[in-house]
Amino acid sequence: MSESLYAQLISLTAGTLLLTAALIVWRRSLRASVRLLAIQGIALAGLVAVLGWHERTIELVLVSLLVLGLKAIVLPLVLSRNVLTHDDDREVPRLNPTASLIFAALLTMLAYIVCRPWMGDTDDPTSRAVPIGIALVLIGFLLLITRRRAASQLIGFLVLDNGIATVAFLTATGVPLIVELGASLDVLLVVLILQVLTGRMQVKFGGTDLDDLTELKD
Amino acid sequence: MNPLEGALTAELLIAALACIVAALSPASMRRYLAGVATLAMAASGIVAGGFALSGHTGTLSAPTALPAVDLTLAPDRLGGVFIVIASAVTLLAALYAIGYVHGSADSRSAWLAFIIFTLGLQMVPAAGDVITFLLAWELMALGSGVLVLTDHRTRPQARSAALWYAVMTQLSFLLLLAGFAVLATATGSTTFDALVTVSPTSTTGALAFILLTLGFATKAGLVPLHIWLPRAHPEAPSHASAVMSAAMVKMGVYGTLLVVLRFMPGGPAWWGIVLLVLGGISAVYGILQASVTSDVKRLLAYSTTENIGLIFLAIGASVLLAAYGITAASQAALLAALLLAISHAAFKCSLFLGAGAIVHATGERNLDRLGGLGVRMPWTAAAFGVAALGAAALPVTSGFVAEWTLFQSFIHGATRDAIPLAVALPVAVAVVALTAGLALVTFVKLYGIGFLARPRSTGADDAHEVSHPMRWAALIGAAAVIALGVFPGPIAQVLASAVGIGDVATIGFGGLSLPSLGVLLDPMALAITALVCALPVVVVSALSARRHPRRATELPWGCGGVRVSPRMQYTATSYAEPLMRVFDDTLRPEQDVVVTHATESRYLVAQVRYRQKLSDVIEVRGYRPLLAFADRLGVVSRRLQNGSLHRYLTYSFVALIVVLVVVSL
Repeated sequence: MSESLYAQLISLTAGTLLLTAALIVWRRSLRASVRLLAIQGIALAGLVAVLGWHERTIELVLVSLLVLGLKAIVLPLVLSRNVLTHDDDREVPRLNPTASLIFAALLTMLAYIVCRPWMGDTDDPTSRAVPIGIALVLIGFLLLITRRRAASQLIGFLVLDNGIATVAFLTATGVPLIVELGASLDVLLVVLILQVLTGRMQVKFGGTDLDDLTELKD
Repeated sequence: MNPLEGALTAELLIAALACIVAALSPASMRRYLAGVATLAMAASGIVAGGFALSGHTGTLSAPTALPAVDLTLAPDRLGGVFIVIASAVTLLAALYAIGYVHGSADSRSAWLAFIIFTLGLQMVPAAGDVITFLLAWELMALGSGVLVLTDHRTRPQARSAALWYAVMTQLSFLLLLAGFAVLATATGSTTFDALVTVSPTSTTGALAFILLTLGFATKAGLVPLHIWLPRAHPEAPSHASAVMSAAMVKMGVYGTLLVVLRFMPGGPAWWGIVLLVLGGISAVYGILQASVTSDVKRLLAYSTTENIGLIFLAIGASVLLAAYGITAASQAALLAALLLAISHAAFKCSLFLGAGAIVHATGERNLDRLGGLGVRMPWTAAAFGVAALGAAALPVTSGFVAEWTLFQSFIHGATRDAIPLAVALPVAVAVVALTAGLALVTFVKLYGIGFLARPRSTGADDAHEVSHPMRWAALIGAAAVIALGVFPGPIAQVLASAVGIGDVATIGFGGLSLPSLGVLLDPMALAITALVCALPVVVVSALSARRHPRRATELPWGCGGVRVSPRMQYTATSYAEPLMRVFDDTLRPEQDVVVTHATESRYLVAQVRYRQKLSDVIEVRGYRPLLAFADRLGVVSRRLQNGSLHRYLTYSFVALIVVLVVVSL
């Protein structure tokens, strides 16, 4: 693979990651968000695959398959089951989409500023993509704060996790299979547990709006 | 292994054994087995302290999980003095406990707490480095904290007392931790021998002095940090309050001596002034509160604040005099501080044990409901009376010798060359004189109302003498008060050698002589002279009494002079009433007088109800507003935690952003 193609592919996958995150911030429909999350998972898997192809390591390709299976197929499926079980899939965010998008843009800028010392003035495409991972983490956090529904919280959490994974893959040029396996299992477990809790919330309180949970303090 | 190390090892082993015995022995045998084991531990402590005091050196160390940090026991001679004090008080308290404990005070946890408490107490002066010192300090705090809670089932105020105690003792610990941290950072080591390199005049030295002094003053119960003392001492079982009052607060004194003698000798004059002021205020305030309170144990607790105040006054005078180069008077003040410490340990131990006997026998702690115990409990009355003489600093007791030495140092230290001295010493003399006068009133009240006159309640009327171990423990304490008062010379010499004062001699019948000041005190000779002088008077009055036999006068109507009811006697409250009037502005009592008039005429009084409530002014004016403020702060800060998940997430998000921004700047 030529270096320029490698750089372009890295930029493409990383750009897709950021774009899907921004779209998730913009969209109110939970179904659309889950679909975007699946696309994000594909982009992440693609990123890992490109890295593996470039480094010529079969292990990374395996990791990319794992990522593809988990983040692009299994988790979105689990989430969409939850979303589909009840009709109302409209999120009413605490912040309107315009303001959220402005915040997302600011956070992306912050990510670039923070990463300046690491990037330096290298032309290495992986280093140049690291800020996108950080931006993903921050945007995931933003989603956690501004969304009310439990399912949206899960989506925010997964965006955050995608960001962490992106940074890990880019800075360490791939992660050993065993480590990725462990991390993926963690995420899967967290999502399943939260899924169960969300179901219980639905049954107990008739809704999954987190604002209704403020009575549970002390 | 030299004798000192052997004795310390033996003490630790016996303590472990005592813990096992206390935990495993059956309830019916527990007090005997655990009591004897504690006695053995205290005895080995006295031996170890004696070795340290006589100049033996030795080091016991144990490695810890941290590299290069060992726990070290290496008592020096000053430490030896305090090990002996702590062990001797523990010995008497354990002996007393064998006869005294019952119910919750005889439980497994109470015995374990007592053993751990007294072990920690004996290890504090033995510690050779900061870590060991603080560890022993916390053991002591932990054990005594549990003991304060002993009666929490029956006395709800024990819980509040334990809370106050825990907070103040942790405050003390934090201050000490900070102070030692300052010293250890400056020297790079935690062993006591390495800490001495800090200069007392440097900023580091000043900071360490302030932090450590405040920490030790909290433990010693000095005003305004005394607030836990009148709460915690009355709540603990009497054998524990005896140890707390007679030995534990002394560790504050030991710590202060450690700072001004061992770590940073030759401190500047302002150190002396700080200690003088702290001690002077505590002495006067403590005895003033003691003189007007009616609760026996609370009275004794306030009197502890007074005595510790006097000890700090003496230490302060010593530092101040040394700073101006007046060595002889400075050394006399230091000797007075140690004599006061030993004397206080003896009489306060005996007084608290006696108070425990009173509570045990009558079920009353309020002096207004006692009386007539002198006839009903003659042994306890004798021990209590002697100890009260000591507390009032009257001749032939240890208190007199100590205050005499203190006065000598003040008088001979007075000079016109240094203005601080010229101002401070006369004021200090006045403070000690006022304190001594008030102490006399207080202990006349305590003994007179409690043991003389007629019983004021059925509890006091039904009182009976307590068991032999309790009796003997109080009597031994009283004997020590007399022994220290009659033969002060040898004891003063031992104490002087412990702090490196050479200029003390024994004279006459065990009398005390300070050659460099040119003064001497021989209590035995004085007592013999007084006897010789008094003998003719006694003989003459006895003879004349025989010649004129007393006529019995039976008045049909006693002119109010015949006391038909015990309620017509003076009570503790009425005895202290003049003092209450004089010091009204300081004490600020709450008084209610409700007069009920007869229905026939409003000029006739049917009933007068008088109620008086005394609260600690410092607590009401100083601590309550502080606590209220903390409460308000707590209520306001609850808004931070309103239960919203989003808000909590926002906190961490904002924190993350701030960190990122700071990193990228």
